[in-house]
Amino acid sequence: MLYREAGQFKTSYTADQQLFPIRQDRIGVLVLLAIAFLGVPLFASDYWFSAILIPFLIFSLAALGLNILTGYAGQLSLGSAAFMAVGAYAAYNFQLRIEGIPILVSFACGGLCAALVGVLFGLPSLRIKGFYLAVATLAAQFFIVWCLTKFPWLSNNSSSGVISTQQLIILGHELKTPLEKYLLVLAIVVVLALAAKNLVRSATGRAWMAVRDMDVAASVIGIKLLPTKLLAFAISSFYCGVAGALYAFCYLGSVEPDGFSLDMSFKILFMIIIGGVGSIMGSFLGAAFILLLPIFLDVALPFLAGLFGLPFSSATVSHIQILLFGALIMFFLIVEPHGLARLWQIGKEKLRLWPFPH
Amino acid sequence: MSGRKIGEVILDLQNISLRFGGVKALTDISFDVREHEIRAIIGPNGAGKSSMLNVINGVYHPQEGKIFWRGQERRKMEPHEAAQQNIARTFQNIALFKGMSVLDNIMTGRITKMRANFIEHALWFGRARREELEHRRRVEEVIDFLEIQHIRKTPVGRLPYGLQKRVELGRALAAEPAMLLLDEPMAGMNVEEKQDMCRFILDVNDQFGTTIVLIEHDMGVVMDISDRVVVLDYGKKIGDGVPDEVKNNEDVIRAYLGAGH
Repeated sequence: MLYREAGQFKTSYTADQQLFPIRQDRIGVLVLLAIAFLGVPLFASDYWFSAILIPFLIFSLAALGLNILTGYAGQLSLGSAAFMAVGAYAAYNFQLRIEGIPILVSFACGGLCAALVGVLFGLPSLRIKGFYLAVATLAAQFFIVWCLTKFPWLSNNSSSGVISTQQLIILGHELKTPLEKYLLVLAIVVVLALAAKNLVRSATGRAWMAVRDMDVAASVIGIKLLPTKLLAFAISSFYCGVAGALYAFCYLGSVEPDGFSLDMSFKILFMIIIGGVGSIMGSFLGAAFILLLPIFLDVALPFLAGLFGLPFSSATVSHIQILLFGALIMFFLIVEPHGLARLWQIGKEKLRLWPFPH
Repeated sequence: MSGRKIGEVILDLQNISLRFGGVKALTDISFDVREHEIRAIIGPNGAGKSSMLNVINGVYHPQEGKIFWRGQERRKMEPHEAAQQNIARTFQNIALFKGMSVLDNIMTGRITKMRANFIEHALWFGRARREELEHRRRVEEVIDFLEIQHIRKTPVGRLPYGLQKRVELGRALAAEPAMLLLDEPMAGMNVEEKQDMCRFILDVNDQFGTTIVLIEHDMGVVMDISDRVVVLDYGKKIGDGVPDEVKNNEDVIRAYLGAGH
């Protein structure tokens, strides 16, 4: 009953093309933003900020980036972590080498560098598709990590390429506490997520989806394939690059090239597969699932074991955690191959008619 | 028929030959299309009809022959350039964007007319927003014309075949093409759907003056709605003329019914 579209008539195209056309969605998003900006800071502890919320937001951003490329433009990529590394190292170098450059500007420049590299590795996409393209982007993954280790200049001659990020100073104020960092990350993620939402509902997004769904028809309509694909690579890598910069500056504080491994690329890929390919919200849901579920199981399993008086060693718990995690992934993919976002959408459609079945 | 006047030659194909390796898809084919007419291409399976359309809109590049578009010889060009020259088409097997709604599919048809760049799109500001509204208005006209208002927000993958064909026509029409290439627009349809499609094709031709090049197997339809017919067989042209001429052409009868019928 709460979620009813009935009676919400659109009398102009402007109203019909709103970001969130349904009133309840608008209210929901506003409430969510209010909770994230105002509610959470009141209640969450430092542990929550630095171990759960900040990485969740950062990985959501990276997943969002990959989702633009894979979910919307249909180009499979296994290089997300590498593009994050480019963003992190570029932002670090901008801070290091340009006197007095504002931190946000170096984040943006980090993103732009990642975009440039992304375009470079996106060039093969004109000729190769699907799994073969994924292998081509795999080259980015190995090449960039190798590059960052091989050239000491990139990490200011530190041993094995480890960088320790500079202070976060915005308008003369240094962000030290996890709360401040959380708010910075949140603000950036919200702005970029809104931009992504706008992009995918505009002509740019339609061109991406057209290329994804049927490239011959897309070109016959007048879409130039290569620029469209490269734009997707650029914007996707920009998002990943900014996520990488945030990962280094706001989450870990010091990173090494090997930290941005293929494992991490896969993790981001799984986030969008489970969250929903071709959905902005799916990126967030997927990141939450992949990052938060292990933490939840960590806490819940010993508690359950204690409840039934079972003698679980911590090793057993971690084994069971991995088992359960894998089983849950399979369960969700079988129930809904289109991801959590689709489940959410189906739930909304059901709510529309509830309590009637038809 | 209506008051539309068939004009000058708009597209002139001269001695087109197309080969894929050793396979000759088209051999020395010449014909022309006049402005505002409905021109049908017919022929048995594998005669090279779809290849012919692909040559016209730049998907295939013929090895020999010349193509004149509005009197100008055309250089080798890519499909998106054909779109910019106002040539739109539909496909034999539906080539809609399955993951998008009907509205978005048809909006995509107007992509060559949109100028805003991706930064404006990301900010949803100024030109991007104005264009979105203006083109939405035009797209709604197409939706009204094709009588598909009720499904405008439905993902095309969920629509029945006949409606998908109609949406694909809508996407082509949204580009306001000067020439529309239709590859078997009525394949697999029942009688009512065929009648609807015929009505739309005739209305498009009549109201917008769009030149139509049509591939169709239903002889009743072809003979009924087209102004002139060209007949292909094994990549060669065996007949060309008004429907009645073609119907009585010996070569055409032989190709369709076999020798010594």
